[in-house]
Amino acid sequence: MSNGQRPLELILARNFLTSLSTPGFLVDEDGMLVFYNEAAAAMLGVSFEDAGSMGPEQWGTAFGPFDDEGEQVPLEELPLTIALRQNRPAHAHFTIRSLKGQEHSIEASAVPIRAGEGTSGALVFFWPLGATRAGGPAEVTP
Amino acid sequence: MKIKIWGARGSVPSPGPETTRYGGNTSCIQVTLSDGTILALDAGTGIRSLGLALTEEGTRINILLTHLHLDHIQGLMFFAPAFRPSSEIVIWGPESPEASLRDRIARYISAPLSPVEVRELPCDVSFRSAPHSEWQIGTATIQAASVTHRGPTLGYRVTEGDTSICYIPDHEPGLGVQLGSDEPEWISGYELAHGASLLFHDCQYTDEEYPHHVGWGHAPLADALDFARRVDPERLMLFHHDPLHTDDFLDAFHGRAIAGWEERGGSARRVELASERRELEVGSSLAASP
Repeated sequence: MSNGQRPLELILARNFLTSLSTPGFLVDEDGMLVFYNEAAAAMLGVSFEDAGSMGPEQWGTAFGPFDDEGEQVPLEELPLTIALRQNRPAHAHFTIRSLKGQEHSIEASAVPIRAGEGTSGALVFFWPLGATRAGGPAEVTP
Repeated sequence: MKIKIWGARGSVPSPGPETTRYGGNTSCIQVTLSDGTILALDAGTGIRSLGLALTEEGTRINILLTHLHLDHIQGLMFFAPAFRPSSEIVIWGPESPEASLRDRIARYISAPLSPVEVRELPCDVSFRSAPHSEWQIGTATIQAASVTHRGPTLGYRVTEGDTSICYIPDHEPGLGVQLGSDEPEWISGYELAHGASLLFHDCQYTDEEYPHHVGWGHAPLADALDFARRVDPERLMLFHHDPLHTDDFLDAFHGRAIAGWEERGGSARRVELASERRELEVGSSLAASP
């Protein structure tokens, strides 16, 4: 038998995300981005199938994110990182930039996914605020 | 391993002249290992008949519960060995953050639903949460994994030597998933069932019935077949028949299952519908009695 089966709660979270029109990311217990839905793909300018799985350093920088002063938000301050590392919900406001160069002001809320054996990953939902602005293209191609 | 099906019906017992061939008792399968160890997969009403067949004093049996819906535990109250002081019964089941396995089962075996309480059972009975890693019972290795259903639900794989049976009686693997194309790691139950010698799998609904029952935790025929094609068992036994499906209906349903299986590139001989009292010997040759 193989050893690659995802925990059921992660499978169900992915199923849940596929059904939503709210953009969302799913990461596993190691912080690997293992899925994002079509709504997130529309915002980021690239489908998950094309972007593929990526580690925290990559997803934490691929699309910004930037604070109100235009500074990049450190990985450890991102809601998803807090949810995973500190095992608690986290919320933040920042701006992300799609691969097409569009900037989105968003609210992000992340929650750990806990099951019998402990934390198996985390979900983050992005809530776009206001109108999309045109900006320069993102520097990192996932 | 010797297999005997004591109940293949889903949801609620459905006795009557229209269900005599496939049977009306709910989920229970007896697995007898090469060393004589007896396992019961679920304790639906079929376990009552199993209990009557176990007449020896000093019966030791492990009952592996997939979940605690009534059609999977209802027979516990009528399981004869539970009322014999010489019996030793170990009941395994899914853990829950809400209460222990014993306390959750005691909600059924207690007033006002039952005239006896768990503490009054004269047998030596213990309750254990199924481990997250493999464990040993007799000569078999047991693996349990959570699967898509309503509430905490397990599937089981019983392996003895190079033979394994997989039992996933309540399962909705296609919910939000493209069973034909999604990667195996995202398919509920895949690892548990992959390459099993014999797979018992939920097939409660026809494809026409399923749209009225999406999210209820059961598989329509197309999803049961798609799942099975992905995990590729040597043999598929469709299980957990809907209580409204009569013998004649199930005969026709079997024909549809064979046609669907062949459309997916499978051999007609490898797909069957489970029927009560059916006995099989699962080994290298997968011999079976009619």
